[in-house]
Amino acid sequence: MSKPILVVGAGPAGLAASHALAAVGQPVVLVEKERTLGGAPILSGYAKLVPSGEWAKDAIGAMVQRVEASERIDVRRATRITAFDGSPGAFSASLSDGSQVEVGAAILATGFTHFDSINKPEWGFGLFPDVVTTTQIEQMISSGKGVRCPSDGRKPKRVAVLLCVGSRDRQIGREWCSKICCTVSANIAMEIREELPDCHVYIYYMDIRTFGLYEDRFYWRSQEEFKVKYVKARIAEVTSDGERLVLKGEDTLVKRPITIPFDLVVHAIGMDPSTENPGIAEVFGVALEEHGHIARASTYRDMSATSRPGVLVAGAATGPETIDDSIAQGQAAAMAALSAAGIALRAAG
Amino acid sequence: MPIHEKSLIRPENLTTHDKLEIDGVDVSGHWSTFIESRVLTDYNEALQDEVQALPGGEAVHRCWQCGSCTNACTVNAINPDFNPRYWIYLIRLGMEQELLRDKDIVWQCVSCNKCTHVCPRDVNPEGVMKALAHWLELKGHTARSPSTEFDEEFASQVFETGKIEESRVIRGFFRRTGQPLMQDWLIAMTRRMLRHVPVKLLLAMGLQGLLRPSTRSWGAARGAIRDYVARRERENRRALGLDAAAHQGD
Repeated sequence: MSKPILVVGAGPAGLAASHALAAVGQPVVLVEKERTLGGAPILSGYAKLVPSGEWAKDAIGAMVQRVEASERIDVRRATRITAFDGSPGAFSASLSDGSQVEVGAAILATGFTHFDSINKPEWGFGLFPDVVTTTQIEQMISSGKGVRCPSDGRKPKRVAVLLCVGSRDRQIGREWCSKICCTVSANIAMEIREELPDCHVYIYYMDIRTFGLYEDRFYWRSQEEFKVKYVKARIAEVTSDGERLVLKGEDTLVKRPITIPFDLVVHAIGMDPSTENPGIAEVFGVALEEHGHIARASTYRDMSATSRPGVLVAGAATGPETIDDSIAQGQAAAMAALSAAGIALRAAG
Repeated sequence: MPIHEKSLIRPENLTTHDKLEIDGVDVSGHWSTFIESRVLTDYNEALQDEVQALPGGEAVHRCWQCGSCTNACTVNAINPDFNPRYWIYLIRLGMEQELLRDKDIVWQCVSCNKCTHVCPRDVNPEGVMKALAHWLELKGHTARSPSTEFDEEFASQVFETGKIEESRVIRGFFRRTGQPLMQDWLIAMTRRMLRHVPVKLLLAMGLQGLLRPSTRSWGAARGAIRDYVARRERENRRALGLDAAAHQGD
């Protein structure tokens, strides 16, 4: 029997990679730092996923169950990798539980960290209770409690979603687009309009990047069916008049300053590199790219490869990524891991 | 010292007091000039719904501000202030005061529909211009003009008989606008007609004016049109939060 493949992280990419390997008969050691499997969609309590509209607990939950039910996958919860040595086909990993595993290759599916809005103090997060993040809105929806103002539990009459919070912002060193926040915001806006038809939702944008098939299903649909309003303005400041929040900025299409009152302000937070990445880079000996994500060695020929042979990467560990693409990359990395570990599948029959 | 962004200062936002004294200092005249804030402080969320309730305005919420309508616009090529893209944005966000600044040019739309054909989102900008002009009128932002009187006289005759009779239109128009019937240009025109138009045709015209015949079987159509117009007017006024009493066009 060949040495197992080490998969680090049990989010969508790690779950997909583990399942793909197990499905072809390959043993896997799946190491997850949290007690719960499922990654960001489960740990952060996402509601309905883009683009399927399936609830995260059902969609990702099914992936978790599949992995948990597999005899070939050795799941280690609340565990980290402390050392990783060797070469392709013969790596040795030390785990925080004191054990040691011999593996043929490793897949880093270590994901991302949500941007912390505290780093944009001018937008009021942490200062005003009714300034929340998209993640908090997801939790309000997934918990079944509905979208309410945290300050007094009232139903908001007017909601502002601020895009690019922690993205496309050189001032705070986030020079990337987080790719998914526009679509997630359009989705959230539609969910709010559905739950609270009297509530007006405004999305403040610099550009709308609902790429590919998200364009009509999310951007157009939010306008055409749900009458969500899009305002071209990057908000300068979120303050309060004592009763409601007040957005200050410039409406660039009208070329006039605006100070508009709102009940609830939502930060469409971006995807930061995982805060664990410096440690991961040191333990696994892999390079990070300029923004701090795990660097890919090749875009095309070996798209799962990192700078270290035999160590592969998948999903949002490489940069902002969607759930479905993370799953595809997890499967691609599984195939690459078999090849890197020198494992040839036996002929069927 | 130069005033930066001077173009942003609107004349109506400048206030000057001819006589003003502050703390014993005379600041009469331009010394007391203040520039009022340009800041927009709220959205009128009813505006989009109101325009959408009027025929033509239904799809205004689809707009994503690409500007194709304004680029295609016949009137914009002559008058750069005529900007459908901009007005659609103001309607969508409920920037009523900003919109009212342009109330006297909205009606210049010539309904060529180039905007409608070029719009990637099926907004029907030409319809929006119509709905907007209608909205301005219903809300009382547009003063009644002689052309309003002419239109209403013209329409009332069409509703009544299914056709118009020119001399009646002119007489009705003069009556509505308080003008005398005997006007030099009209007398001159009538004289020339008497001299140059064939007698047979003159007799036919005179007969039409006296008998005022309707289009054949007009009675049913007249009733249906009257009902429709009255219902539409009622619905429009209700959508705009105006009193339900139908505005009588005839």
